[in-house]
Amino acid sequence: MDDEIFLNERVEVIAAFGEGLNPCRPVKFRRPSGREIVVSEIGLRHPSAQGKRMVHIFDVTDGGADYRLEFDSERLTWRLTLEADHYEK
Amino acid sequence: MKNDYNSARPLVMHIDLNSCFATVEQQARPMLRGRPVAVVNRRTEHTMIVTASYEAKACGVKLGMSVKEARKLAPGLVALESDPPKYRYVYHKLLAIMNDYSAHVRMKSIDEGVIDFSESTEKILQRDMRDVGMEIKQRLRDEVGRAMRCNVGIGTNRFLAKTAAGLHKPDGLDIITADNLRDTYATMKLTDITGIADKNQKRLNAVGIYTPLEFLDADLASLQKVVFKSVNGDYWHKRLRGWEVDKRDFPLRSAGRQYVLEGYKLPYYAVLKRLHHLCEDVGFKVRSQGLVARGVSVYARTYQHGSWHAKYMASTPFFSNQAIFAHAQRLFEQAPEGIKMIAVTCYELSEDTSPQLSIFGDELASEYSVTNAIDDINQRYGKRVIHSADTLGTGHFVKQKIPFGSTRYM
Repeated sequence: MDDEIFLNERVEVIAAFGEGLNPCRPVKFRRPSGREIVVSEIGLRHPSAQGKRMVHIFDVTDGGADYRLEFDSERLTWRLTLEADHYEK
Repeated sequence: MKNDYNSARPLVMHIDLNSCFATVEQQARPMLRGRPVAVVNRRTEHTMIVTASYEAKACGVKLGMSVKEARKLAPGLVALESDPPKYRYVYHKLLAIMNDYSAHVRMKSIDEGVIDFSESTEKILQRDMRDVGMEIKQRLRDEVGRAMRCNVGIGTNRFLAKTAAGLHKPDGLDIITADNLRDTYATMKLTDITGIADKNQKRLNAVGIYTPLEFLDADLASLQKVVFKSVNGDYWHKRLRGWEVDKRDFPLRSAGRQYVLEGYKLPYYAVLKRLHHLCEDVGFKVRSQGLVARGVSVYARTYQHGSWHAKYMASTPFFSNQAIFAHAQRLFEQAPEGIKMIAVTCYELSEDTSPQLSIFGDELASEYSVTNAIDDINQRYGKRVIHSADTLGTGHFVKQKIPFGSTRYM
């Protein structure tokens, strides 16, 4: 039951804004430690209303672990809120 | 009547996201794909599994098992706490896709819905329903994610469409028509039929019906007068032959919530706070449907003394959280010790009418206005922005869990 680490890290994100069903795609992000993570797949993006603020939640992976990034559309900030890896075989 | 099967073109489509919550988690978290996954309401070893992925099911994991038991069958099982906003998002995506094909879409629960194409546009009706089903599957993959799978069933009525959706899991697409009806029933067991579980199975067995084909061939009089002893016999007779009898909506009769206490031997005041929290949730549910209640029932399951319940029917309707809690609290004074689970239900629901009709008009009107104002604020700024001081801190434990069943509150 210890395969998920819940975080609240402010991260720097490079995202691509384009067309289509998923117009915003985080490409890579840098954690406060300086570690850079390149997103290889966006699993799911879903909005979550927090009061009248809309936060877009991106579940992403770099191929080694899954991460949850949250984009606050009012404050224009990104936070890393979950890292999940070390799944037992 | 034996050959009185509905031979019309099958235009009812049932779409079912099997293992929905586990599939959504595998979509969201690519590292979980291909692994046994279980969705639970609380991340402990003893919690009950709500949904298991196909990989977990293949190892023998069943819903209702504890995580500890399931790990013996599937050693690498990953247990995740449910994430309702994610499932709600997928529900709304699926609903939007389905609405593109017909104005007659009805979601049966968070993970399944029915499209009735009988009044769709000519452009849609000219298409092969199998192609439409395949297109919906593809759109689900394109618009939600490539790991998403759904079962599609097509039939002349809701019952056959649902039956068809269950024939080839996961990711199947089947059509049941008057031509293959008997062949399909021949591959099924009696309890594979939706709506036939223990009680109905016993009723049917009692008259020598052991298979779906025998059920199909049973005459109407026997079903009506001997087996079901009601109009249900007629419904089953028609349903099995592909005639529509389930195109009905039922009014909301009750609204409730339950909660398994997070700790063993919580003090009485702490249990009462959680009961209060449930009353706030139930009150909001009732009011969100424009209803008021007259009855409250309170239920508790204990560690040693089985279950207990009490109910109260008021002479006039009530609607506010305070009123619901006041009734529930009074009932709960008789509750036994050693409580494991609590539940609150409001019943005898009716349409909201003007409170000014009462002789206590002013007081009720004021309670009505304050309650509505609080609901408006909570809807705009977030759930539980305003709540009773008594339930301060309970939100950490009594979280909103998987919204199974009714889609009224989605």
